[in-house]
Amino acid sequence: MIELSVLDEIIYYILRPEFFVPVIFPGLITSMILLLITIWAERKIAAKVQLRFGPLLISPRIGGLLQLIADLLKFVFSEIIVPARAFKALYILGPALLLSTSLLPLVVIPISTSIHYSLYVIGNNGAYVPIYVNFSLIAALALSMLTPIMVIMTAWATNNRFAVVGALREGFLMITYDVLLIMSAFSMAIIYGGVDLFGFVNFQSSHYLGILMNPISAFVFLVAMLLGSSRYPFEIVEADTEIVIGPYTEYSGLLFILTMGGSYIKTFVYSILFSVIFLGGWLPFSGGIGALFTVFKAIIILLFSVFLRSVYGRYRIDQALRGAWKLMFLLAIISMVLSFIWRWFLVA
Amino acid sequence: MPNEKDFKVKEYKKMSDPLTQFVNHIRAIETGFKYLVKPNSRITLNYPYQEMVLSRGYRGMLRLYKDICIGCTLCAMICPADAMKMVTKEGKKYPVINYGRCVFCGFCVDICPVDALTETGVHDAAFTSRKDLFFDVEKFNMDYQGEKLTGLVKRVKAVTDPEKGVKYEPVDSNRS
Amino acid sequence: MRGCLLTERNRVNEEELKEVEIIVEPGQGQAELNIGPQHPGSGHMRLVAKIRGDIVEELVLDPGYVHRSVEKLCENRHYMHLIPLVERPTIIDSIHMNMGYIMAVEKIMNLEVPERALYLRSFAAEVNRISSHLYGLGILGIFIGHSTMFMWGFADREPFVEILQNLTGARITNSYVVPGGVRRDLSQSVKEFAIKAVSYLRKKIKDYENIFLNNPNVRARLENVGVISREKAIELGLVGPNLRASGVPYDVRKIEPYAAYQKLDFEIPVYKEGDAFARTLVRMEEVQQSMNMIMQIIKEIPEGEILNQRILKQIPPQRIKKWYEEQKRIVFPGYFASMRPPKGDAISRVEASRGELVYYVVSDGSSIPYRVRMITPSYMLIKPFMEIAKGHRIADIPAIYGSLDYFPPEADR
Repeated sequence: MIELSVLDEIIYYILRPEFFVPVIFPGLITSMILLLITIWAERKIAAKVQLRFGPLLISPRIGGLLQLIADLLKFVFSEIIVPARAFKALYILGPALLLSTSLLPLVVIPISTSIHYSLYVIGNNGAYVPIYVNFSLIAALALSMLTPIMVIMTAWATNNRFAVVGALREGFLMITYDVLLIMSAFSMAIIYGGVDLFGFVNFQSSHYLGILMNPISAFVFLVAMLLGSSRYPFEIVEADTEIVIGPYTEYSGLLFILTMGGSYIKTFVYSILFSVIFLGGWLPFSGGIGALFTVFKAIIILLFSVFLRSVYGRYRIDQALRGAWKLMFLLAIISMVLSFIWRWFLVA
Repeated sequence: MPNEKDFKVKEYKKMSDPLTQFVNHIRAIETGFKYLVKPNSRITLNYPYQEMVLSRGYRGMLRLYKDICIGCTLCAMICPADAMKMVTKEGKKYPVINYGRCVFCGFCVDICPVDALTETGVHDAAFTSRKDLFFDVEKFNMDYQGEKLTGLVKRVKAVTDPEKGVKYEPVDSNRS
Repeated sequence: MRGCLLTERNRVNEEELKEVEIIVEPGQGQAELNIGPQHPGSGHMRLVAKIRGDIVEELVLDPGYVHRSVEKLCENRHYMHLIPLVERPTIIDSIHMNMGYIMAVEKIMNLEVPERALYLRSFAAEVNRISSHLYGLGILGIFIGHSTMFMWGFADREPFVEILQNLTGARITNSYVVPGGVRRDLSQSVKEFAIKAVSYLRKKIKDYENIFLNNPNVRARLENVGVISREKAIELGLVGPNLRASGVPYDVRKIEPYAAYQKLDFEIPVYKEGDAFARTLVRMEEVQQSMNMIMQIIKEIPEGEILNQRILKQIPPQRIKKWYEEQKRIVFPGYFASMRPPKGDAISRVEASRGELVYYVVSDGSSIPYRVRMITPSYMLIKPFMEIAKGHRIADIPAIYGSLDYFPPEADR
């Protein structure tokens, strides 16, 4: 038994992955801060392309970064109006459930290796993950599919025609992007020979990066990510000029901030998944710096997704579905064939 | 109807094959990226820290020269919005103006036969109550001063530029 | 279910109500969607759509939200007072609204306009056409979600609005055309501004094509949407770029030339397909043709006066020396305050940015007109809009709206 002082004990328990990942990094607190910075970056990037400044007045010397804090404070103190004919319990619970289910996949995605703080030892490294399962890819994808159900539930509880139209669009899109995500992730699983995300990164450290081995699968995953988290050009669920803002039409005040947060956090979680599957996760570092590096790669993918706002309009729902089933599905099948060839080449 | 063969009826080519679409997607993203990294491309006027000096002849607020005015009432007759009315002071007629109604058309300046009205070029005056909008003869006789500028406000002039569109060049002169 | 909002105060009788009533049968998957004035994609008017699933079965427009009774106000004001009034309905296109009214008044008064003033009217009209088309394309962009086109359209409008500000003294509310000529003359700085603005926009058209016109996303939203065939366009009474995009080569500037258009060399773009993308292309190409016309006018404008001789004689000579010869501005003679045209009536047509604009002015000899009637181009679009949208999806309503360039204050006057 090693004797530790009280301070060292506290630090040890804070840095254990069961607490650190869901609550501090990259869980709740980091996601909230990153959400504000992402929305700020989206507005600034779009403004630079559009020949204007974006947020500037609140804190001019750091480029208006505190504008989002000001917006957050304004919304927090706004009045929450509950429509008379809404189903009140689900109306108020909906946004909170939306946000919490969008953070769930983080409990099974490993973000680094660590010897000291982790209970799970695989090979000669420990996996820095709250719950280690050896089917973590399937678990992550399954947990991420809870959020659309909450969106439809929220919209139904609102009792507004625009919200119902938005929920129907989300229902159609849910089936499409889930299939594309699963097919693309499984075509990588074929190459890596397993469904364990920790093993993915180990495989990539001894062979090539995933995006170089099967770029078609990376492209399909990227498009499915855009479809799923309502980023341009697929901002169909929250189409501003067609259905006000879709499922969240009647929301105001703090509940509105929660709903907006849910959609961005979904993008963030998918970006972390992308960086682990395709970009090698925490390679070539390990430990604490590895965790930062994983999240850094995820932020680059996130910034690319929000950059597309300044280039594209939005597709119609039937055009998005037709393109996804005709073109992307075909590409996903081609990527599976490609990964069969790779696997045969690597094993033989 | 015009002669049909003078006008050519055109057709545009529809974009339906995936390869052209992919190439055009890449071109659009490239154009967006080009503007993202282009330096010095923003054209916002940072009002109120930069204030624009307008060109000569801009139709802004007005100024009356009481000694020149002959009281012919032509300005009140031509005002489209009924903003100018005549009042009698010391036996002579003078115009007064209600800036709540004025549309800054400049007709009264153009029609005054003795040039007693001039434009001042001030376009951004702000008042705190409706009573302040109504200028009586004494106030109308003065140059509209407005707020005193502090050192923070820089005066700029808008100049069309072939690269950027509109550029704002600094002008150093006192607010007259 | 009623489509219009009724309060106790404004109950109307049943026949008028049925204009905006939508019957929805239960159990058929139908609903009524009220895209009212408080909606990001509706402009200043109400649209009531009857939808089955995602398909729009019937679309009813409810104009009148911004009705300001301009035609009735015209019966109470003198002729010069009406100049700022009639240019207000379509304030972004104010030169054309102004010019149409003044052309009708000049026909009644039998005034001839000197040649330099005609060229100046065309110059201001073409600059205004560019800025109005960029506005319309920007609104189309934001309605299909393309915020860059919106911001670029409004940013690139700025050099042209600066030209008009230097020329006339105000950015949008120009009040530039008066009976007998125009108010101010071209100066060297206006010519330089115009040359630089035209060269800037010519360079930028390539970027517009890359990011908007050839963007596969935008093409997918606009191709084959809201198709109007040639016969239907003529039957429904479309005007302007919408008509030219359906294959009908009709433009008032070529058929009944006014101002200086007889002497200028320009083409009018006509496309065959009649869908939303053809309308967008017609507008983009009209912008390019207008830029060519501006450069021609700057080169070819003749010297001369800018106001009719008869009126110029009535201004006292010391005023002419001070204002006209030194600063190139005209001043009004005293009788402009209560002008009395002879008895008569006149019709005038101009090609405004959105289509053909018709004025009918009746004068009974006093200083107040008896009747002024304006037929604005957006007013002609109300019925076609309702016809075209049948059978399309909910997401096509903003695309059709933006591509037709319907401007609610112009239709409501």
